[in-house]
Amino acid sequence: MSTQLLNVSSLSAGTEDKPILHGVDLAVGAGECHVLMGPNGAGKSTLGHVIMGDPAYRVTSGRIEFDGADITELSADKRSLAGIFLSYQAPVEVPGVPLYSFLRSICQMRPELKTTARKFRERVGAIADQLELDQGFLMRELNVGFSGGEKKKIEMLQLLLLQPKLAILDETDSGLDVDALGIVSRGIQAYREQVGGALIVITHNTRILERLEVDRTHVMVHGRMMAEGPADLIADIDAHGFERFEKCEDCDGCPKAGDAQ
Amino acid sequence: MAEKDLAPELTLERVNVAPAQTWNRLRTNDITLTVPAPGRKGDVYFSLPRLFEGVECGMGRAVTDWVESQAKGARYVEVPRGERREEAVVVTVGAGDVADTGVMVRAGAEVTIVVAAGAGEKDGEAGTSASLVRVIAEAGARVHLHEYVSVGTDQQHLESVGISAARDARVDVHQYLLGGGTVALGFACDLAGERARVDLGCRYHAAGAEVLDINEVVRQRGRKTRSELSYNGVLEDAAHKGLRTTIDLVHGAKGAQGNEAETVLVLGDDVVNKTLPTILCDEDDVAGNHGATIGSVSPEQLAFLASRGLSRADAEQLFVQALYEDALMHAPCPEARAVVNDSIGDRPLLNHESDDSKGVCPQLNHSEEA
Repeated sequence: MSTQLLNVSSLSAGTEDKPILHGVDLAVGAGECHVLMGPNGAGKSTLGHVIMGDPAYRVTSGRIEFDGADITELSADKRSLAGIFLSYQAPVEVPGVPLYSFLRSICQMRPELKTTARKFRERVGAIADQLELDQGFLMRELNVGFSGGEKKKIEMLQLLLLQPKLAILDETDSGLDVDALGIVSRGIQAYREQVGGALIVITHNTRILERLEVDRTHVMVHGRMMAEGPADLIADIDAHGFERFEKCEDCDGCPKAGDAQ
Repeated sequence: MAEKDLAPELTLERVNVAPAQTWNRLRTNDITLTVPAPGRKGDVYFSLPRLFEGVECGMGRAVTDWVESQAKGARYVEVPRGERREEAVVVTVGAGDVADTGVMVRAGAEVTIVVAAGAGEKDGEAGTSASLVRVIAEAGARVHLHEYVSVGTDQQHLESVGISAARDARVDVHQYLLGGGTVALGFACDLAGERARVDLGCRYHAAGAEVLDINEVVRQRGRKTRSELSYNGVLEDAAHKGLRTTIDLVHGAKGAQGNEAETVLVLGDDVVNKTLPTILCDEDDVAGNHGATIGSVSPEQLAFLASRGLSRADAEQLFVQALYEDALMHAPCPEARAVVNDSIGDRPLLNHESDDSKGVCPQLNHSEEA
């Protein structure tokens, strides 16, 4: 059994005026691959952002432990340096900052990734080639004017560059055509093979999982974890949808529909 | 010491004046500068051909007269018709230096002009430096102008440029204003001929109590002329910046287009940022646009950058760093690169590697290694 890397226990969180997550539990072992599924508005992305420490969300109760330490109160930048990575569903545009400068800076923040300028260029170039990303993008402003597919490839570029212990991929497959999906999937596979890091894949699309060996599947509905099971659960959900999880019996504790939207 | 104290000075009032004024109480119409004015009696001065007297310069007549009175001599460069000058015309200005340069670019010729104004070895000393560059671009000429300015916090630099562009002439301008006690820059471009065009990109950074004053004027006289002016800067601490940009669509300039846009990132609570973008229009069939975005790093950007390991301070520094890296990457010659390197100093987050003197950017290395 793998060592526990992430342990979310009884986590409730939301925005300033709206609770979204209700007593969520999630445990991820080092190097494991977990899939988080659920209908739209279930709170999956919120969970990813709360684990990352996004200041837009406030934790009202519960605890997040990562790599043996309580990170519930830790700022996002420190969580990132500790080894958590969140791939954004809609990466933010940062005008005025070329992608290359950004990549160089985020690596400089990590002592283990510090290297000479020449070696860094070679490494970035190799990853860009692996992701079939034109190196001309490196001189463009971060995410400014990029297509959805290009933005996702750049998220993968950061993932492979930073080599985090845990990567949360928030619908990385959304908005990708078949070819781009294949490239991104290969990027995720490369992360697993080269880094051996843990994954939480938030997705509606099982194609991105075809190349991955899934350890556990979680189903979230209305901000609550409603089911957990092996990889087979994905096929089951693919065939029957989420309806049975939404219509659970003895649902005294279920929030009203739309609570997490 | 007594000699220094008694050095004659001259006060230049109403410098960097925009063609259209606003209320004086806004204190953004001009700047007043005090400059040294030692007597030059007995000096032999080589002046530029009289043709250059007709070139409007951005800082105004008073600065032109002062530079002509203080420069040891004018430097005249002529690029023959149809010729592409491989070697850049480099104007290097250190503390206390005053340079007067005139470049005649004959029809169809091409030239690169670089102004590199740095503190040099006199960093830490007070003083005033200045560069006056006047360019006459004949029909179909190409002019690439690079201005790199970074002087010491006790120093003052005046940078005045005037360009006259004839039919089908193209001018591209790359300005990097990287700080100094007081930096005043004036740029004027007269698009006199049909289809003449100027593309100007200005990136600036000011911190501490530095003063940056910019006045840029494009006169679009010819038909179908085009101007694209873009400004992008970062202001920190208690920096004081004034920017006056004017696109003057003169009567008869049918089909002319002019656009100006500025993005300013304000990172200090005591920053003073004044922008006066102006479109003057005396012709019906023209298009002119201007816009300005002033703000700080957005919460969404901060959250995204934090998720990559950058604190708020790191994120803000990233924007400054990007500006310097851009300057390094586009530096056209060692003199320009030296200005940036001197300016970078000990900035903690800057990705300035000593192991690789060619800089930080892959494209720069590609071009150099080619």
